[in-house]
Amino acid sequence: MNPIVEAVRAHNVLVCVGSGGVGKTTISATLAMRSAVDGKGSLVLTIDPARRLANALGLDELGNTEAKISEETFRAAGLTPQAAMHAMMLDMKRTWDELIERRAPPDKREKILSNRFYRSLSTALAGSQEYIAMEKLWELRTQRDYPLIVLDTPPTAHALDFLDAPNRILDFLDNDAARWLLTPALAAGKVGLKLLNLGSSYVAKTISRFTGTETLQELAAFMLAMSGMNEGFRERAHQTRELLEAKSTAFVLVTGPMPERLDETVFFHTLLKQNHLEVAAVVVNRVHAAIPAGLWAQAQGLKGDLRGRVEKTLEESEFLAAQDARGIARLRELCSPTPLVLVPRFEVDVHDLGGLWGTSQYLFGDSHLEAAR
Amino acid sequence: VNPGLRTERLLIVTGKGGVGKTTVAATLALGSARAGLRTLVCEVNAKERITTLLGKAEVGPNVTCIEENLWAVDVRPHEAMREYALMILKFESIYNAVFENRLVRYFLRFIPSLSELVILGKILFHLKEKRADGSWRFDRVIIDAPATGHAITFLSVPQVIIDTVPPGPLSSDAQWMRDFLVDPAVCAAILVSLPEEMPVNETLELHAALTSRVGIAVKAIVLNGVLSARFTQGEFSGPYVAPELQLLIQGHSARVALTEAALTRLGELRLPITQVPRLYVQPFARPAVERVLLELAPLVGT
Repeated sequence: MNPIVEAVRAHNVLVCVGSGGVGKTTISATLAMRSAVDGKGSLVLTIDPARRLANALGLDELGNTEAKISEETFRAAGLTPQAAMHAMMLDMKRTWDELIERRAPPDKREKILSNRFYRSLSTALAGSQEYIAMEKLWELRTQRDYPLIVLDTPPTAHALDFLDAPNRILDFLDNDAARWLLTPALAAGKVGLKLLNLGSSYVAKTISRFTGTETLQELAAFMLAMSGMNEGFRERAHQTRELLEAKSTAFVLVTGPMPERLDETVFFHTLLKQNHLEVAAVVVNRVHAAIPAGLWAQAQGLKGDLRGRVEKTLEESEFLAAQDARGIARLRELCSPTPLVLVPRFEVDVHDLGGLWGTSQYLFGDSHLEAAR
Repeated sequence: VNPGLRTERLLIVTGKGGVGKTTVAATLALGSARAGLRTLVCEVNAKERITTLLGKAEVGPNVTCIEENLWAVDVRPHEAMREYALMILKFESIYNAVFENRLVRYFLRFIPSLSELVILGKILFHLKEKRADGSWRFDRVIIDAPATGHAITFLSVPQVIIDTVPPGPLSSDAQWMRDFLVDPAVCAAILVSLPEEMPVNETLELHAALTSRVGIAVKAIVLNGVLSARFTQGEFSGPYVAPELQLLIQGHSARVALTEAALTRLGELRLPITQVPRLYVQPFARPAVERVLLELAPLVGT
C-alpha cells in the first residue's frame, strides 16, 4: 500500500518537517486537501511567516482562526470534496497572548503582558515559534474534532529546534538554577538584585557589567510574574511530547533530491528515529523524471539546427534526472526502511487546488514517478 | 546603470531557502578579494559550506585566511559569546570563572536573542578592527545570512535589544550595530532569488520587510537558474515534431516564460538584477563558482 494513503488513514496528526525551500507547505496542504476530498475531514495548520499557504490555497489572508475552504474553490478545480477542509495560519503574538490570558493568575496578567521580556519572548525569541506551534496543535487536537490535522512546521535553521522547543521553554521557565536564584525573591514577594541569592557577589557584578543591572532586575520581575505558571507549562510540554509520540501521530519528512539537502535530511531522519517518533515516509519533492527512452532517436529525425537545440535540452534534462536519481538512491539507503515517495517537479509552481490535486496523484500513489538510473 | 557596490563595507546575502545564497555569498567574496579588497566571508551558525565550495579546507569558528585577500569563518554562538564577553571583560580568567558557570549560562539564555546578538556583534566587530598602519583589517565583510524569516529576526536583533534591554553595555553595543546596519553608505543587502513564483513572492516580501521594518538598504537582486529562450513558438506545435519531444520543448519554453515573469515582477523593485544562468555541473565546486563570478564580478566593483 502507498505509505501516504496508509499514513492518512491510520493517523489523526501528521507533522510535516524538513528544511526550508523544499515545498513543505505545498505538501502539507496537499495532504489535507486530498484527505478531505477522499472523505476524511482535515485542517492544515501553517506557521510560515511568508504566508505561502494562503498563496497556495488561493486565500488572501488566513487569520489566527480556522477557515473553511469553500466549495467554490474546490469546484473551480473540478473537485467535489466528501468532507470539509480547513486551513489556518498561526499568529504567534496572538496565540501567546491567549495563552497568558488563559493560564496566568488574574492579578499577574497585565504585569506579564506589559513586561519587555514577555514582548520579545512572544515575538522574537528563537524557538518560541516552534513552541507555540506545538501548543496550538495540542489545543486543536484536544478541543476540536478534526479527523486529521496536518502541521506544517516553521523552516527551522536546525532540525533539533523543533523537537526541542517544549523542553527549551520549560527549561526557560522552570529550572533548578532559576529557583535557586529566585527563591528569596519569591519569598519576599519583591525582586531586586540584592534579594537574589547571587546578592552582591562577584558573579552578579560581572553579569551586570555585561548586561546592565536593570536587565537582571526586569528579568527577575518577569520570572516572578511567570512563576505561578510553571506547573501549567510543564504539564503542557509533557502533553505535547506525548501527542508527538502517540500512535495516532506520524511525521512526514519532506525534502528535495538535490545533493546539498541530503545530509540534513538524513540527520533529521535519524533524529526522529532516535526520539522514537514514527516517520511515515520521506517525501522527495520536485524530482526531475527520467527521460523516456526513444527521445534521442526521435531527435535524430529533426531537421536543421532544431536537432542540436533539442539534443542540448535532452542532455540537460538527463543531467538533472541523473543527479536526482543519485540523491534518491542515497536517501533510500540511508533512511531505510522508511519508504520514499517521489513527487515530480512541475513546470509551473503549485499554487492552487488544481495544482495540489496534481501533486496528490503522486503523493497518494495514483501515478508513479520513475527516477533515472 | 552600473550596479557596482564599491564603498559598502558590509554585504548581507539573503533570500528564500534553497535559492543559492551560499553560492552567491562565496562568489561575491571571491570577487571582492580579486578586486583587491581584504574580504571576510561569514557563515552564521550553519553547516560550513563556503570553504568547500571554494575548494578549501573547513576553517570552523576561527577567522582564517584561505587565499589572497580572502578570509572565512563559520560563526557559532558559543564561541561568539566567549569572544564578545572577552571584549567587554578583557580578562580570560574572569570569563572562565563567570561565563562558564552553569547558573550564569542559564541566566544569559534568558536575555532575548542574545546568541543572535553576539553572532552579529562578532561579525560587525570585525569591521571595526584596524591594522598597525591604521587601515581596516577587513575592507569588506560578507554575511551568508539565514533564510527569509530567520534573516529578518536575525537582523532585527539589535533593535529588539534596544527596545528590551535597559541602558547598559549590551544596549549601547546594540545601538552601534543598529546604526551600522541602517546606514546605506556602508551596508547593503543583496537578495537572491529563483525564476519561480514562490521564491519571487518571497523576495518581494523580504524586500518590503528589510526596507520598512528593519531599515536596511537592499541594493541588488541576483536571479539564479536563469534559462534563455531556445525555441520559437512554431517549433513546439509543428506536426513534424513527435509528441514527446513537443512536451520537452514546451517544458523548456515554460521555464523560460517563468524567467521572464520573474524578471518583470522583480523589475518593479527598480534595483539592478544580475542574472546567473542555470549551470549543469556536478559536483558544484570551485570551477562553477568561477563561472558564476563571470556574471557577478560587476556587482562587486571589478
